[in-house]
Amino acid sequence: MIGVPTALLIGFLLLLLLLLAARGMAAARDLPSGSDTPLLDALEFAPCPPEFASRIFSPEDSKFVSTTKSPQLAKLFRSERKIVALLWVQQTSTAIQRTMREHVQIARASEDLEFATEVKLLLLYAELMLICGVLFVAIQSAGPLWLRGLAIYADAHSQRLAQVEQSFKAATAARELHGAGVS
Amino acid sequence: MQSSVKLVPVQAAYDDLLQRSLSKLSGDLARLVYLASTRDYNTGTYHHDGLAARYRADAASEAMEIAHRQVFYRLAACSLEELVGELELYLNSSRECPTDVLRVWQKLEPYRIAIPVEVNPAVARLFLSNVRLALAIWRFRQKQTPAHQ
Repeated sequence: MIGVPTALLIGFLLLLLLLLAARGMAAARDLPSGSDTPLLDALEFAPCPPEFASRIFSPEDSKFVSTTKSPQLAKLFRSERKIVALLWVQQTSTAIQRTMREHVQIARASEDLEFATEVKLLLLYAELMLICGVLFVAIQSAGPLWLRGLAIYADAHSQRLAQVEQSFKAATAARELHGAGVS
Repeated sequence: MQSSVKLVPVQAAYDDLLQRSLSKLSGDLARLVYLASTRDYNTGTYHHDGLAARYRADAASEAMEIAHRQVFYRLAACSLEELVGELELYLNSSRECPTDVLRVWQKLEPYRIAIPVEVNPAVARLFLSNVRLALAIWRFRQKQTPAHQ
């Protein structure tokens, strides 16, 4: 049996995780303030090459700016990089949600779903939304430069999710073709 | 068959563009500005008379679009230090006074229209942000060493 304080703590942690995941989902809708990038149709943007997640969250540029010993330049750098990082999170969150929407549409029409694969995809999606939420809150409160590892992880796993969804789509199409051929 | 017939002149036009025009420019920033300047504001198509005469106009435009995107992604992937170097090279190789060019670039931000059409918005924003920072750093350095002006 667990005590009341432990149960409360667990409840609080679960609520926090839920709020962060909701923040990650909402990140897709919020354009960072000060972002002067014209908002293209959120569903129609070119994919972000993987090396750019590392570039945006890299501390290398911060170190270079600090060599100037100018507080104004350091402030400008922090504010600029924060906007870019938030935009990246927004884009990543949008791409993940788009992938899941496509998957749900195909899965609805599919007759032979694999329960284990669906659960795996759902857990991966929840994890990525949680990470986007953490990234969004952390970037806003402390800046992006200490979040490189988490951003690279989110980037790699969102691509994995897209790959799994693509193979699911291809397998479903192949089954449908095969079914049409047999009947 | 159709696509391979189409690809050959684009590849040839691209190689030609690299060898005859782009290699003569010093630095990727100069290449980016040059390629963006050949693009029609209204249609987004690229124009290069020499290239279009040697190949087809559409092949020339496509080759320039590819080159534009490649140069852009190369610059956007640069570290801030490398970009300051690129900016310095561009300003010093310009026929205009570097300080005047810097002033206009900071005020009008003409580099905004140097971004190709089909690029990722976060990468485009990273590029704009880095150019803005590189300009500020270059200006700061000029103020620190007035003898360079």
